Amino acid sequence: MDPLTIDTTKIKITKKKPVTALDKLNDTGLISTVLAAREREGLILFSTIDQIFNWARLSSLWPVTSGLACCAIEMMATAMAHHDVARFGMEIFRASPRQADLMFVAGTVTKRMAPRVKQLYEMMAEPKWVISVGSCANTGGPYHDSYSVLKGVDLIIPVDVYIPGCPPRPEAWIYGIIQLREKIKNKGYGAKWGLNK
Amino acid sequence: MNPAEEIKQLFPGSVVSTGLQTNKPLATIKKEDLLIIAEKVKEMGFDNLSLITGIDYRDRFEIIYNFFSYAKKQNLVLKVILDHDKPEVDSLESHWKVADWLERETYDLVGIKFRGHPNLKRILLPDGWVGHPLRKDYDMGVDQFVTLGEDGEDIVSTDGSNLLRR
Repeated sequence: MDPLTIDTTKIKITKKKPVTALDKLNDTGLISTVLAAREREGLILFSTIDQIFNWARLSSLWPVTSGLACCAIEMMATAMAHHDVARFGMEIFRASPRQADLMFVAGTVTKRMAPRVKQLYEMMAEPKWVISVGSCANTGGPYHDSYSVLKGVDLIIPVDVYIPGCPPRPEAWIYGIIQLREKIKNKGYGAKWGLNK
Repeated sequence: MNPAEEIKQLFPGSVVSTGLQTNKPLATIKKEDLLIIAEKVKEMGFDNLSLITGIDYRDRFEIIYNFFSYAKKQNLVLKVILDHDKPEVDSLESHWKVADWLERETYDLVGIKFRGHPNLKRILLPDGWVGHPLRKDYDMGVDQFVTLGEDGEDIVSTDGSNLLRR
């Protein structure tokens, strides 16, 4: 028999079953991680995946550049230096829906524009949120009895936050943005990914 | 003399009445003589056709032309009364190029046909739309929806199941 070859049939793999709580903790590798961090004098942060992801998502909401009517003028005012939406990490209005995760429906959704709005929404990658801004996008507003205007954008796409006004002032926009951040903060993803079982 | 009276002197048989429309000189004319009078109006220096309005009065259609002369700083309003059953009038596109789109808009929303227009089709609403919305007898009870075709063209239907959320 060649001494370099190993007879694999004779090797027995015995996995030690963790008995005590310390064994179980050792199994997770947590203690060794903490010890390694202490050796390098590093800091350790305990959190949940939900919290980390939600924090990252709500801190850098990138809206898609889509203005439908006069509310879009207020959207520009909100984005400019005086009200400065960059405080919320969302100053980058993306020109492509592929790179955006927030959509302001800012203005009157006409029947002819409605399929384009829906297409823009469907082109956005998950996770995505929608803020409906102004009376027209919320309910049709002054054009509710018109032949050419959709009676609320929530007829075609799901809406997270409604901001009333005609058009809403930038303060109202920022309040709506804060409401959406609260909503994202309280959302759990664990159940969706099967982690909380 | 205001331009409306001038036109009445030149075409006494064609002008039904003269007056004022929001402080602008107004001449109501017969629809058969619109092209002849329009030619004269252009000669009088009214180089700008600023607006065409069509109105549905249930028993008749009225179409109102607003002219302005940049040289003389003068306004003139021409009004033509049309039958309700067959609203047709001559196109002014050969005299004022802007009449092309203004007449298309009037055709789109009020449904007045313009004889001699080179491209008389809808300008605001998509092609398949049923009815002319600014008419009094337009059916507001039926919702019409627009969806996108494969080449991005508009498809009009009363069935919104492709568009609306279930």
